[in-house]
Amino acid sequence: MEVAKKYSESELVRLLQQRNQHVFSYLYDNYSGALLSIICNIVKDEELANDVLQEVFVKIWRQIESYDSSKGRLFTWMLNIARNASIDTVRSKSYQNNLQNRELSEDVYVSAGTSQLQVDQIGLRKVVHQLKEEHRVLIDLSYFQGFTQDEISKMLDIPLGTVKTRLRTALTQLRGIIKP
Amino acid sequence: MDIKAYIESGIIESYVLGMADDHERAELEQLSRQYPEIRAAIDAFELSLEQNAMANAIQPAAHVKANILTEIAGEFSDITEARTTAKLVSMSTPGTGWLRYVAAAAVILLVVSAATNVYFYRQFREASSQYQSLLIEKSSLLAQNQALQAKGLDLYQGMQIMSDPAYTKVSLPGVKADENKLATVFWDKKSNDVYLLTNRLPQTSADTQYQLWAIVDGKPVDAGMVDICNGLCKMKNISNATAFAITLEKRGGSPTPNLDQLQVLGGVNG
Repeated sequence: MEVAKKYSESELVRLLQQRNQHVFSYLYDNYSGALLSIICNIVKDEELANDVLQEVFVKIWRQIESYDSSKGRLFTWMLNIARNASIDTVRSKSYQNNLQNRELSEDVYVSAGTSQLQVDQIGLRKVVHQLKEEHRVLIDLSYFQGFTQDEISKMLDIPLGTVKTRLRTALTQLRGIIKP
Repeated sequence: MDIKAYIESGIIESYVLGMADDHERAELEQLSRQYPEIRAAIDAFELSLEQNAMANAIQPAAHVKANILTEIAGEFSDITEARTTAKLVSMSTPGTGWLRYVAAAAVILLVVSAATNVYFYRQFREASSQYQSLLIEKSSLLAQNQALQAKGLDLYQGMQIMSDPAYTKVSLPGVKADENKLATVFWDKKSNDVYLLTNRLPQTSADTQYQLWAIVDGKPVDAGMVDICNGLCKMKNISNATAFAITLEKRGGSPTPNLDQLQVLGGVNG
């Protein structure tokens, strides 16, 4: 990865905003895999995850004007686009219907399918998997499923304050595990 | 403010992962400009998140990139790149340019050819109609020619009769006030052939006709109806006539002359 990096982030952003296809191609080649790992953490079907990845890169291309480098890294911005697109997909009606159909034929699916991802073994999920159960649940609901702390409080029947505190603790631990 | 405690609170991770609410986000952005430690902590977590994602990269399906480039094709500014990627839309390769000239030449030739066809077709139509009118003119001339020939022949025959000594010439001048009228009878006393030349007789109306009478033994004898003929008109044979006369009768003639309508009259000499 480091060898291939011939553009600095500011160069990347400037050239993308100038609608440079070569740089967009470079961006895809360098970051599509990393973004797909995040998408796969949320969208558990590999084919659908690839569709979301396509949608995400089109969004990156069309929304690059709104990226503000003073607020964070380009990758973080792209990561959030990927996360939001993935959550939207999972929450969509067609995905929910599809999921129900699969649950009805779960046995067939598991024996025949290879596209069901072992998400707990991938990327951020793998990191989160190392947390305690009570923390893992909160990260899963808030980060991977996109519920608000208020919603989580009601779902789990835990006071909002407790949700806040536990989530903060979980996130702090998360940083500790992620840090190389 | 305890910066260290703030950094350790989990707010930075919450912010970077997009889980912070608006209030938390605004607060952190403001503090990060104020405290470089906070800025550094944000950068560090972002970087470790990126590195973790990079290390766990999943190879996307091969078609995804092509699909994306197809979807946003036409939104690029670098034309050279666009041309390499989308060869199908390339319009300016040398081969195509050459073909365009050939196509243009073919179109021009077609137009010229079509115009020439129209021109020649008009020429043909004109020549054809001229030919038709010439055909009509020719047959009309031929008919005129034949008529003239027949007329010439009749006149020749008439001249033969008039100059034949066997024929007696009888002049029939006008009677009463019509002295200007004149007709001439040529009569062969031996063969009894009678020919009439209408020198000066006014044209009759459609329902009337001139009739020639011969006066034989003091009585008028029908010598035939006067038709329009070239030169001499052949009349009925007459013998022993002492005079000839012409009256105007109803078309087809009468058995006896209407003497009120006597036109010309002439006696036979000797």
